[in-house]
Amino acid sequence: MGIISKLPVFTENLPGGGLVTTSLNQILTMTQAKSLWYLLFGTACCAIELMATGASRYDFDRLGMIFRASPRQSDLMIVAGTVTYKMAPIVKRLYDQMAEPRYVLAMGGCAIGGGPFYYDSYSVLRGIDKIIPVDVYVPGCPPRPEALLQGCLEVGKKLRTQKLEDWSGPKNESR
Amino acid sequence: MNPAELTAYITSNFSGQLETVENDQAEPYFIVPLSDLVPFSKFIHDDPQLELNYLMNMAGVDTGEQFEVVLNPCSLVNMQRLFFKVVLDRGDPKFDTVSNLWAAANWYEREIWELYGFEITGHPNLKRFLLPDDWDDGFPLRKGWVGKNVIPLPEK
Amino acid sequence: MTQDLHTEKMVINMGPHHPSTHGVCRLILTLDGENVVECEPVIGYLHRSIEKICENRTYAQCIPLMDRFEYVTSMSCNWVFALATEKLTDLEIPERAEYLRVIMTELNRIASHLLCIGVTGLDLGALTPFLYTFRERELILDLFEMTCGQRLTYNYIRIGGVSQDIPDEFIPKCREFLDIFDEKVDDYEKVLTENPIWMARNKGIGVISKQQVYDFAISGPSARASGVDFDIRRDDPYSVYDRFDYTIPVFEGGDSYDRYRARVQEMRESAKIIGQALDQLPGGDIRAKVRAMFKPKAGEVYSRIENSRGEMGIYLLSDGGKKPVRVRARGASYNHLLIIPEIIKGLKIADLVAIFASLDVILPEIDR
Repeated sequence: MGIISKLPVFTENLPGGGLVTTSLNQILTMTQAKSLWYLLFGTACCAIELMATGASRYDFDRLGMIFRASPRQSDLMIVAGTVTYKMAPIVKRLYDQMAEPRYVLAMGGCAIGGGPFYYDSYSVLRGIDKIIPVDVYVPGCPPRPEALLQGCLEVGKKLRTQKLEDWSGPKNESR
Repeated sequence: MNPAELTAYITSNFSGQLETVENDQAEPYFIVPLSDLVPFSKFIHDDPQLELNYLMNMAGVDTGEQFEVVLNPCSLVNMQRLFFKVVLDRGDPKFDTVSNLWAAANWYEREIWELYGFEITGHPNLKRFLLPDDWDDGFPLRKGWVGKNVIPLPEK
Repeated sequence: MTQDLHTEKMVINMGPHHPSTHGVCRLILTLDGENVVECEPVIGYLHRSIEKICENRTYAQCIPLMDRFEYVTSMSCNWVFALATEKLTDLEIPERAEYLRVIMTELNRIASHLLCIGVTGLDLGALTPFLYTFRERELILDLFEMTCGQRLTYNYIRIGGVSQDIPDEFIPKCREFLDIFDEKVDDYEKVLTENPIWMARNKGIGVISKQQVYDFAISGPSARASGVDFDIRRDDPYSVYDRFDYTIPVFEGGDSYDRYRARVQEMRESAKIIGQALDQLPGGDIRAKVRAMFKPKAGEVYSRIENSRGEMGIYLLSDGGKKPVRVRARGASYNHLLIIPEIIKGLKIADLVAIFASLDVILPEIDR
């Protein structure tokens, strides 16, 4: 009863069991926040730190985060690394393939705003927020695994504010 | 062979005109006439004393005044290195492929064709591969090129 | 009956977003059933125009860009650029700096091979080696972090020396790592080398002949697995590599399995070099005096070093000014990806993943 008593639920104890009533939104949000599957989308240096975060020492799995190679199964897209103009349509397409509600985390200077390639480069997209909406920015070149973990927890916080409507149609433009 | 002997060997055994450039690096340095690029490459590639059959690097260069192509072959048998270049015609930059001698030159040349716009005669597969497929903004590595997407570094 | 079965050739697209292409590489595959008939790599998804940016930066500012040129072994990239620049100057590099460069680069080589072996396991369906190798890789990253404050892009080796001296606790920590490392390599070998699935997936797959090594300019462990006894550290020596006693592992098979074994042996040899370098480490300065407005002589140079993947080179053209006129960075993966269409013909699509991983192709040094 420890977990249940902390949630906004109505519990009715009956002999031989019990009855729990809660909102669908609550249960969906809770399950998604506890198993935030992310799309493995590494392009450059940050991808190596993303791998390190998933490996032995930092262990993403303890947050219920497991990488998926397919956008259709993932809730969170971690864009780790430089995105070029040649790559940009593919990022957009992958984002479109993800199911609602979806979240995007921009990892590292390049994904946020071009990073060291901002000036003089003819092929680097200066920030992925020019093509897809970004929820959380994690700065660094590349960010440390701890910073990435913190960023993912921030996504979890944001996720708890979502509404049931977010599961069905396209999101509000003003997000 | 040490660099001096290597230079002497090549200049005495190759029939074409070679210009030797003095420098303090460990390898001999030649400027080869454009028409002799393929014969010279074939000579150093096949000669049993040289066997420079490993192309380390090949680069297009725009010095601001002239277009050049630099080749750095070496030999894994007798560990010799060579540095040679050809100077292209600025108005009509064009050279013959060496990719049938060194297979590695295939992509090096493709890159030079794409980023410098030098014409390469006889190359088997000239297709865009570094820039986006719909690129129409000229040849980015040429000097003085300003692209649509470039934000220049501000002066202090 | 089977002769009447007619199969159409099929063209499928692999990548650029595919977990086993180690970056963003797209392969257009023509398949006959599961056999690969043709494979055409499409690159450029990570083309960040580093060469063009370098032309607008001073020499010192180019070094952080070189970190991003090949981020798995950033130390080597720093070094090869510094080496090319130093050839155009008459700087005397202090001995201590040379030793520190060797120690850091060899540590980085081990870290890179650990990543390669772990990821190869992951691609072929073995999760355990990935967790094992990353455990030790973190120990190496700790050493880098205590020296220069970064885990991946170091900007440590500068023109004329290194950026800062190692802290006091570096040497004991490093020795601690070397003491346990040999045992750990035995562990990986226990999991992988004699593993029947590993052998079935790797033996006889993707054989590169000696002639192909020459033609396609294959280098590093991939060339040594094909019986070409060539290592730039020994055959075109730079720095203080002639003062160490180490062997260069050469195998004859030329297949994915031998490339894997060459990498494992190389890690052990690198550990030996680091041990000797720590023993011989002299005191003194860590950096030659370099003027703030650094200008090398006019001239051009191609310098190369032995990276964990193979030959890494920089062609540098200087006109005596404060910015380079032309920088061309040459990475070993460039040639390794070029040969994949040649050696994949007739093999299964699953073998492509094994070959890709065993050649240790990573895309940043191809696209630049």
